[in-house]
Amino acid sequence: MIRTLDHTADVGFELEAPSLEELFEEARRGLLLVMFERPPDRGGERETVRLSAPDLEMLLVRWINELAYLVQARGLVPTGSEPEIREDGGSFVLEAHLAGTELDPEVQGWQGEVKSATFHGLEVKRENGTWSARVILDV
Amino acid sequence: MNFERLSEYKYRIPREGKMRVDAAFYASKTILEDLEAENYASLKQLTNVATLPGVVAPALTMPDIHWGYGFPIGGVAAFDPEAGGVVSPGGVGFDINCGVRLLTSDISREELESHKSPLADALFKGIPSGVGRGRRDLNFSRKDFEEILREGPAVLVDRGYGESADLDNIESRGRLPGADPEATSQRAYERGVSQLGSLGSGNHFLEVQYVDEIYDEEAAGAYGLERGRVTVLIHSGSRGFGHQVCQDYVERFLQAAPKYSIELADRQLAAAPIESPEGKAYLGAMSAAANFAFANRQLITHFIRQAFEESGFSGRYLRVLYDLAHNNAKFEEHAGKRVLVHRKGATRAFGPGNPELPERYRFVGQPVLVPGDMGRYSFVLAGTEGAMSETFGSSAHGAGRKMSRKKAKKAAKGRNLIREMESLGILVRAAGRATVDEEMSEAYKDAAEVVETTHSAGIGRKVARLRPMIVVKG
Repeated sequence: MIRTLDHTADVGFELEAPSLEELFEEARRGLLLVMFERPPDRGGERETVRLSAPDLEMLLVRWINELAYLVQARGLVPTGSEPEIREDGGSFVLEAHLAGTELDPEVQGWQGEVKSATFHGLEVKRENGTWSARVILDV
Repeated sequence: MNFERLSEYKYRIPREGKMRVDAAFYASKTILEDLEAENYASLKQLTNVATLPGVVAPALTMPDIHWGYGFPIGGVAAFDPEAGGVVSPGGVGFDINCGVRLLTSDISREELESHKSPLADALFKGIPSGVGRGRRDLNFSRKDFEEILREGPAVLVDRGYGESADLDNIESRGRLPGADPEATSQRAYERGVSQLGSLGSGNHFLEVQYVDEIYDEEAAGAYGLERGRVTVLIHSGSRGFGHQVCQDYVERFLQAAPKYSIELADRQLAAAPIESPEGKAYLGAMSAAANFAFANRQLITHFIRQAFEESGFSGRYLRVLYDLAHNNAKFEEHAGKRVLVHRKGATRAFGPGNPELPERYRFVGQPVLVPGDMGRYSFVLAGTEGAMSETFGSSAHGAGRKMSRKKAKKAAKGRNLIREMESLGILVRAAGRATVDEEMSEAYKDAAEVVETTHSAGIGRKVARLRPMIVVKG
């Protein structure tokens, strides 16, 4: 579940999912909804991403920033991810096998750049078996 | 929120809780109502800034205050390096040295009208937005790129992208000292090298305007502004390069914060002592990004001059009136002390007589450029003594949003804003309709309210008003 937040200067969203992996996949979808009017949902290109962070909040920021980098610097729009997240010696490690398609601003309805995910009001938590997150992007 | 009125437009938030110093803000009755409507969320952010180590009283916001992340937009805070003062990458922002540059010309509004459409097309074609295909004629080697990071636009002028006179009218002559490309990441390089000379999206723009009102003849004369003459305003920053520098250092500072026992009211305020290895590295990287942004606006200026040449204005000179930063941290001397002034969505606004200013502007004060929204107007102000004594030489930087992007899109539904603007005599060229909808006039506060408050509070002096004729959005 993705709910967009009404932040005056920037954009944000709240996410909910039954598992941490699905929460991160929702973050990918949320990012694409910010960037594109018509986000692509199928792609044949493959890319492996491996990230680590000392906590889940920083991992989520790095994940969103990594995806935004792929779109904006490499022209690859990630249309699906299969993230795996595990704890490893006090840090969290994410490995994802992305499917993607080439950036086509006109066809996909480019809405504008995302400068970065921010740590302002950032939260990743699990309550009653549901994972949720809140993140604000600087656009 | 506990605050008291100091004068008609100035308020004080007394130090309480973890605040180390008082905070102060500038507001008219309307601006105060806006702050109340958002439950003082931006003022809360201001009080968070006042908790940072080494902050010099007071922590401030300008009249265009609005809710940001970490620092409020419109925030100004100075830190004393000798008192454990900190630097905060989040307090500068992701778009390091996002700023504006104003060009003036001897072209009349009437002359421009007859070439408006081809000029709008040439500008849109000539200045890449930065995503997708850019200009094929730009190619910087790593060595060139690093030289630009160290030296700023002077390197470009040496290669024919502009004139040496352009450099005289850039804040700090377009070069922050101590820029250190080694302190920036490979990813920053990768993102930056392909985006040098591009406008960006969101609230970045390029506008062809005309001067429709002069409020201060003396200052307007010094700045070369004449009623009915065409001006060009560029709003852009350090692009992916600066965004990456900020990302890298916010994370690095968050990890270093416990080492320096810095308690953070908001993680986006991550900070490290100015004199620490982390602080010094960030300042080197930030200065490189600031020089990138000055160079970016220099390249865009070159492309604008080309577009004018191609569109019937051959041989007509576009002079750089001034180029200034909105997001920066700079060492300056205030009240006899060297401090690091963070400006997050605020303009340096030095008053008359300051030796940092170009000679021809020195007797009237620094030009302060305040862009409004794309349908109404922008303003030129002059720096004042009041700003020097009250706000660490700072002033407002823009109108500030009043509608979220989501609300703006909703308000734009079923309307054709590009056609609406055309009926007002403003030609819009944009990469997509979404940006135009989000950036619609009604989404912004009236810049005139901000400017009147700034002027009446004595932290800026109204000089001229500019009206848009062509708007280019990335």
